[in-house]
Amino acid sequence: MPKLVHNQDPIEPKDIPGNTMIEMIKVSRTYAPDIKALSDISFTVDTGELFFLIGRSGAGKTTLLKLICNMDTPSNGLIEVAGYNIHNLKGKKLAHLRQKIGVAYQDFKLLSDRTVAENIAISMEVSYKKPRAIKQRVRDLLEQLQLTDKHDALTGDLSRGEQQRITLARSVANSPRLILVDEPTGNLDAATTERVMDLLTRCNKAGATIVIATHDSSIYKDGNHRVMELRSGKIHSLSRNNR
Amino acid sequence: MNFWFAVFRQAGRNLRQTWTSQLMTFLTVSLSVLIFAFFYLIYTNMIGAGDRLSDDLRLIVYLEDDPGPEMQEQLRRKINNFDKTESIQFISKFKAYERFAEQLGEDSDVLTDMPKDFLPASIEVVPLKSLRGYNQIKLFSEYLATLPGSEKVQYGQEWVERFYYFTRLITIVVLLSGALLILTATFMVAYTIRLTIMGRHEELELLKLVGATNNYIRTPFLLEGIIQGFMGSILGLSALYVLFQWISLHFAGPGLLNLFNFTFFPPMVIVSILLGSIGLCTIGSFTSIQKFLKI
Repeated sequence: MPKLVHNQDPIEPKDIPGNTMIEMIKVSRTYAPDIKALSDISFTVDTGELFFLIGRSGAGKTTLLKLICNMDTPSNGLIEVAGYNIHNLKGKKLAHLRQKIGVAYQDFKLLSDRTVAENIAISMEVSYKKPRAIKQRVRDLLEQLQLTDKHDALTGDLSRGEQQRITLARSVANSPRLILVDEPTGNLDAATTERVMDLLTRCNKAGATIVIATHDSSIYKDGNHRVMELRSGKIHSLSRNNR
Repeated sequence: MNFWFAVFRQAGRNLRQTWTSQLMTFLTVSLSVLIFAFFYLIYTNMIGAGDRLSDDLRLIVYLEDDPGPEMQEQLRRKINNFDKTESIQFISKFKAYERFAEQLGEDSDVLTDMPKDFLPASIEVVPLKSLRGYNQIKLFSEYLATLPGSEKVQYGQEWVERFYYFTRLITIVVLLSGALLILTATFMVAYTIRLTIMGRHEELELLKLVGATNNYIRTPFLLEGIIQGFMGSILGLSALYVLFQWISLHFAGPGLLNLFNFTFFPPMVIVSILLGSIGLCTIGSFTSIQKFLKI
């Protein structure tokens, strides 16, 4: 009989040693036969930080995000999320940690035969949120992203820009402690980009750690954030914006 | 939202989305249960009839002559030395005549001109109930035939033999149909669940990524297996009951069925078949979903 109550929450702030949300030490990822997607990546992201990961297509941004959320396994090195080696976690512990990590995938991973509301709700349903709370949260998010009229539309019928926003809404819906966003503005106009960034900033102010992988300089040039640039799978620079 | 609400909703979605393959599985499980239960019903009734027939089983040893009291005692001792019996009764030629006349009733005058010792003397041996296996009876009769003064031993050999082989045939059929039920139900449910999993691979993958526990993903499929097993066996058993009623109605009267005292399964057997079917279908769905969860 499965337990209904999650009494073990590995990503609560109290469990985070030294307030570090992500720690990567000498991480490499090589794909067969000998394609080095990432080599010797070492960096730390603090809890509550808004962190930008930049670089051209193929630089290794998506691979890095996949490693952080345990969609992929590193060939070498250590990755810790909230003080836990995420690749050593299994079963319930891994599931509970994933509930606290929201990911907006570059390929969206939307269920095309389900409605917008159902797609967003899925991340809250696995945490057994109350149906009323789920409905309210879905409506709020759609309103923030100006997609209220798409509530009952099938995601397969939406434009790529709309799908991108739905993916983002799903990633933040469960109020995760860590949000990983892969190219959030790739298919959006300037006004929608601003709206999306507003939403992410609000989540960040509410305490969520956010890592955004992008090559859109307009979203990271303002503000006092750290920006890490990847080139050919290596860290080219890691600096703080001073504007 | 609690765990079970989520599970039932997910199972409902699965059933809705793959209802055609679910229906095929449901019918296959029903048919498997029907085939197995049908032969099992015949088997249990055969066993019951066999028990009733064996109540009347007695071996009759025809003798050359009426044995004297001393010889009777000797024969009794010899018989009991070979196997335990419930009773041994000596029938003299005269007593045999009287019995026969009694059986003829009003037609007994046909015996008027017959000598009163024209029927052979005999011994009626009733073996113990626990020693009435076909092979034991056969061995016993062979032994009785070797007794001094014994001419012939009769116990309805042909009938007992045929009944014995028929019971054995039914046993084999029950075992085969049981194995068929196990294979068919398990395979079909596993196959259907695998189809569902393949059809919803993206969703299940996403569920894992957003933090669904294995139980959250697995339980709806197990529930499907349970539903398939339960509904399938209910339909199979109901169909068998209808068939049983029809046979009872159309073949009632002083025929074979009366001899067999044809009865349906007792509640314990029905519950056992239900639980067996549910168990097999659940195993089928469990093996399918485990393969996915290991990926």
